[in-house]
Amino acid sequence: MLDVYSRHRPYALLAAVVLIQVLMLAFQIKREHDVRLIRFWAVQLMTPVERAGSWMTSKVDGVWSGYIDLRSTHAEDQRLKSELDELRIRNHELETQAGEAQRLETLLNFRDAHPEAPMLAAQVIGASADPTSHTLFLNRGEHDHVRRNQAVITPDGVVGKIVEVFPSASQVLLINDKDGAAGALFETSRTQGIVKGTGDSDPVMDYVSNDEKVQSGESIVTSGLDRIFPKGFPIGTVESAKPGNPFQSIKVKTAVRLDRLEDVLILLTTQDIAVKKQAPETGSAPQVSAPVPQTEAARRGETSGAKKEETRSVPAHKVPPAMENPAPPATNPPANPAPAPAAAAPDESH
Amino acid sequence: MLNPTTQSEPNIEVHKFYSGAILLVAFLALLLQAFLHKYGRLAELLDLPLLVTVYFGLSRRNPVSGMFLGTAIGLLQDGLGHDNPIGMYGIAKTIVGFVAASIGGRIDTENPLSRFLLIFAFFHLHQTILTLTQRVLLNEPAHYFTLRLLVDSLVSAAFGVLLFSLLDRLRKPS
Repeated sequence: MLDVYSRHRPYALLAAVVLIQVLMLAFQIKREHDVRLIRFWAVQLMTPVERAGSWMTSKVDGVWSGYIDLRSTHAEDQRLKSELDELRIRNHELETQAGEAQRLETLLNFRDAHPEAPMLAAQVIGASADPTSHTLFLNRGEHDHVRRNQAVITPDGVVGKIVEVFPSASQVLLINDKDGAAGALFETSRTQGIVKGTGDSDPVMDYVSNDEKVQSGESIVTSGLDRIFPKGFPIGTVESAKPGNPFQSIKVKTAVRLDRLEDVLILLTTQDIAVKKQAPETGSAPQVSAPVPQTEAARRGETSGAKKEETRSVPAHKVPPAMENPAPPATNPPANPAPAPAAAAPDESH
Repeated sequence: MLNPTTQSEPNIEVHKFYSGAILLVAFLALLLQAFLHKYGRLAELLDLPLLVTVYFGLSRRNPVSGMFLGTAIGLLQDGLGHDNPIGMYGIAKTIVGFVAASIGGRIDTENPLSRFLLIFAFFHLHQTILTLTQRVLLNEPAHYFTLRLLVDSLVSAAFGVLLFSLLDRLRKPS
């Protein structure tokens, strides 16, 4: 009996082991229970090593791909560099197009807001070769009905005036050119003066009495007396003001970045364009309100009583000579009047 | 019928291995199999725990130890799986380990060709037991034989021949 058992002991063991596992399977299936202990220990046994192996594999892979297997890296590097250059150029083109579209949209909106004031959009195509001269060339000329002394503006403010007209181009004298000027007044105090160029980037406002209180940041708008720029259009703000002889020395920060002009509007009329200042937090171009056409009476200075009282004008002999119908009589004449720059006026000789 | 007590026969060489080598190799086989799962089809082509079970069964020629090694490896393999119940691989590898150790003493297991054929045969035995278990005990559909299984068994057999020659180095000199 014992001999039989020992001879068949391996089979008995095999049958027992298989039977146990079959029962285990049956238990799992019938009760839908998992033999969690075996799974738990199997996972506990393997996962730390697996984790270490995975870490090692990733390191080896990193070393291999980062330091050893670099056969195609140079070629790929060159390809990517070339692709990057192409994308940079493309990106630059798109940015330029987007900027141009935005500028044109601003111009278009401005023009649409003033259907009563005919305007012509123009592109800056060049500048003067003379470094002391602040002039630009536009792509509009006689063929587009551009004439001398027409105002050139942007929705932000005054740019300059047309001084030369060619068949298909025209030249603009910027307001900061040493020969450039515009009749101006402070928006709040209504004190008049002349903004004129000095040849530097920023123009100055002249003919403002030393008695006048001028604050930094104060807005300066066109007075309309020069018959080039419509009244009330932004020129800039006071950057600094200090007493001078015979008038205050007021430095003006132009509303328009004159050194970064690309698209402008040529104003084909001197009709007033009413401009409402935008809320300070928006900080973008001024909002345009309903236009208020300037009547001939207003041009001659026959404004309403209240406004007339507020407005203190430069005397007739102080304004640019071409302002043939100067502002109302001076209320505060300067002691030593200085000659006004000739270029501010419409140059009839051209 | 196989005689499971062939180890006691005087003309049969029972190979001894360095201590811990069997456990280490079995552990590494399970580990590598888990790694191979990352690469999908490769894990299906090769069943390293099966190859290790067969190798040590054939070499040790002790059916009981071969059976227990197969049981341990199979149960751990089940444990590392997710959706298969514990015991599926356990049963299959228990039987494979037992049979491998039983016939190890009867035929030449050192020749590469016989190793190739043995691995091929054990692969299909293992697969048959698995399929039986699935169909009979678990009532799940499974195929006994497919073309894909044939390819897998051939690849496993070819790889097993190389693996066996590597594992031979773990033997203690006789």
